[in-house]
Amino acid sequence: MNSPSEQKNGNENYGQTPIDFSFVLASSVHDMKNSLGMLLNTLSAMMTSSPPKDVEQARFFSVLEYEAARINGELVQLLSLYRMDENTMSVVIDEHHAIDIIDEQIARNDTLLKSRNIDVQVNCDSDLIWYFDNELIGGVLNNLIVNCARYSRKQLLVSATEENGFLCISVADDGQGYPDNMLMGSLPQTPVSFSSGNTRLGLLFTRKVLELHKSKKGQGYMTIANNGPLGGGVLKLYLP
Amino acid sequence: MADLGYYKMHALIVDDFENFRGTLYKMLMDLGIGNADSAASGEEALRFCKARSYDIILCDNNLGKGKSGQQVLEELRSTDNPCSDSLFILVSAENSKGTIMAAYDYEPDAYLAKPITPKALDQRLGRLIEQRVELKAVHAAQKSGDDELAITLCKELVASGSRYANACQKLLGQLYLKKNNLTAAEAVYRAVLDNRELEWAQLGMVKTKLAQNDLLGAQQWLENILQANPLCMKAYDLQADLYKLQNDSEGLQNVLQKATDISPLSILRQQALGDVAQQNNDLVTAANALKRAVKLGENSCFDKAEVHSLFAQTTIDLFSIDKELAKPLIREAIACVNNLEENFGKTNLRKVESLLLESQLQVCAGDQRRAQDALASAQSSLGDTKDEDALSVQIELVRTLRLIGKTDDAQRLLGDLLHRYAGKEEQLQRLDVLLDEPRSEKNKLMVAEINKKGIAFYNAKDFTAAADAFKTALQKLPNHIGLRLNYVQAMIDKLKTRFESSVSEKIQQTFTKTSAIISQQHPQFQRYRQLNDVYNSLVRAYEKDKRG
Repeated sequence: MNSPSEQKNGNENYGQTPIDFSFVLASSVHDMKNSLGMLLNTLSAMMTSSPPKDVEQARFFSVLEYEAARINGELVQLLSLYRMDENTMSVVIDEHHAIDIIDEQIARNDTLLKSRNIDVQVNCDSDLIWYFDNELIGGVLNNLIVNCARYSRKQLLVSATEENGFLCISVADDGQGYPDNMLMGSLPQTPVSFSSGNTRLGLLFTRKVLELHKSKKGQGYMTIANNGPLGGGVLKLYLP
Repeated sequence: MADLGYYKMHALIVDDFENFRGTLYKMLMDLGIGNADSAASGEEALRFCKARSYDIILCDNNLGKGKSGQQVLEELRSTDNPCSDSLFILVSAENSKGTIMAAYDYEPDAYLAKPITPKALDQRLGRLIEQRVELKAVHAAQKSGDDELAITLCKELVASGSRYANACQKLLGQLYLKKNNLTAAEAVYRAVLDNRELEWAQLGMVKTKLAQNDLLGAQQWLENILQANPLCMKAYDLQADLYKLQNDSEGLQNVLQKATDISPLSILRQQALGDVAQQNNDLVTAANALKRAVKLGENSCFDKAEVHSLFAQTTIDLFSIDKELAKPLIREAIACVNNLEENFGKTNLRKVESLLLESQLQVCAGDQRRAQDALASAQSSLGDTKDEDALSVQIELVRTLRLIGKTDDAQRLLGDLLHRYAGKEEQLQRLDVLLDEPRSEKNKLMVAEINKKGIAFYNAKDFTAAADAFKTALQKLPNHIGLRLNYVQAMIDKLKTRFESSVSEKIQQTFTKTSAIISQQHPQFQRYRQLNDVYNSLVRAYEKDKRG
């Protein structure tokens, strides 16, 4: 266990050994996140010290904030996926109120939703409790809301109900619905397409998080459909 | 939202960025919080928290130089101060509690991810304070020490279908465990587990089983938890408690090693690993863990002078068995002992201790002049004291004199001490560390028992168990040549059955140490020579074999 040959010297990894790309990526994502945190702080400080003078400036600010928040979200997902891959992701299932996690993610995206004039309705019994890792599911829900905010016209419906022993959290919008290839099932198995601009990282993350929620009844899963309650797409998360 | 009395509340904002402090201050004012103070560093925050009580503390985790947010939390929760039960929210750019939780032992009331929006702060604060208000009477009962009342109140809340029934169940379990009402504690956890396998209830079961002294039951629950979540640090801590109860110091070292591999930033675990590895005579592991513990101590309320001294002593001991392994640690150990007084307060004995440790470390570093200088100042500061408090420093002085080559002075001082404390069991036990044969009754008995146990294993040809038995005494009685040679003999027989370089290395190290303390007149010198010859021929045969 303690032979001197095993003592790492730090620099020797760069010799003949191949680069562990996922590790390099994870480290730089970490740095990026720190920089982005600074950027977001400075941005909000700037908005406080010189508030927007007209509608156009306000829109610029909102775009800056939204895009930065989106990068932030993607980086968080990337780090989480890396940790899941390395088995260093800690999943702590506890009892939570469904309404809390929904309210939390809507509050988090308040600026974005307001700037896009999207009206959010919540349909959830305030006493509904369930078992999940609230941070991971919160992350998934956050991505869903951010994504829907982009594609919906003016309405979003987030609801939570119990269905056959599973908690079902559904996010419905009034947009034009999900494209056909996403409705086909077998979600992120298709090769990631960088050219289309949609790397489907969000779907991969969602699926992984759901797989981490297991009980005697089964494991978490999701469904995607169109013609939802608001006429657009509807994505449902099922948790055992 | 119902009126939660925000206007009466006093908040503390801790962040090293002025902008961010300003933004948060404005958000809190907009929410109607009565008052808010701001601190730019962890140290400043702690000064504020000693002066008055805050209802809410919003603290960034990354505070630049000095204490981190987590270290501020640890100090508030583990020491007596007006903010020991304030609502503590840890703000972090890293939104994963996983990374933070895997690293530390004290948990905040909530984590908040940057960037913080006013709405998100409002929502989170609202929920937390609602819970505080609902559990206010329970917390008050707990704080005044009336656990019975706290239990009654918790039960009432659960029965009334409170929104915070889950939090009440957790509290109930803890309260029953504290009152040693194990049947009730088990009932709480079982009721939760019947419904769903929740980690906190499983951990509660482990604690209950440990308190019931049902070690097998505790072990089974722990295995379940770790299988589902190999990153559950609390399970590792309980596993460590279990090994302590079983007096299994090897198991204890292994589990602490695993836990510190997963989460290297926990000072308490590094300290514990250093301690147990030192007792297990695994000096490389001990010295490295203690080095990390010293480093982590820089800003931690859990830093202790003994850990710094033990790091220096272990480095010196390591040098006596393997110079190469000790070399990279010596500079840091010297810096560490030089700062002893500055870090832990000036006293004459501490000064003498740090000089003596420095003197020995300078010998290791090959600087005889500095070693002599440090020894001389230590001796003049210590003088000719007969104070009992000085005994541990005088033991260190004997070690230093030996290492520096002043064997006669060392023997004279040791003789004086043995004379002074003749018949005093407690002091003799401590002096045994310097002796070939122990003088205290306890250690005489220990040697007899270990020999009996070790020899029984040896005769049964279980050489590993025999070596382990002898090894347990090597740190307590490092100068006991008989035990040392028994250990070597068992290890050599182990090597004969199968050649392993790690075993061979341990034997070599033990010989190095023995050669430094044995004299040709020693009754076991002949045996030492014979064992050395057997070992050398074994190594030669193995190397020839490898080449051929």
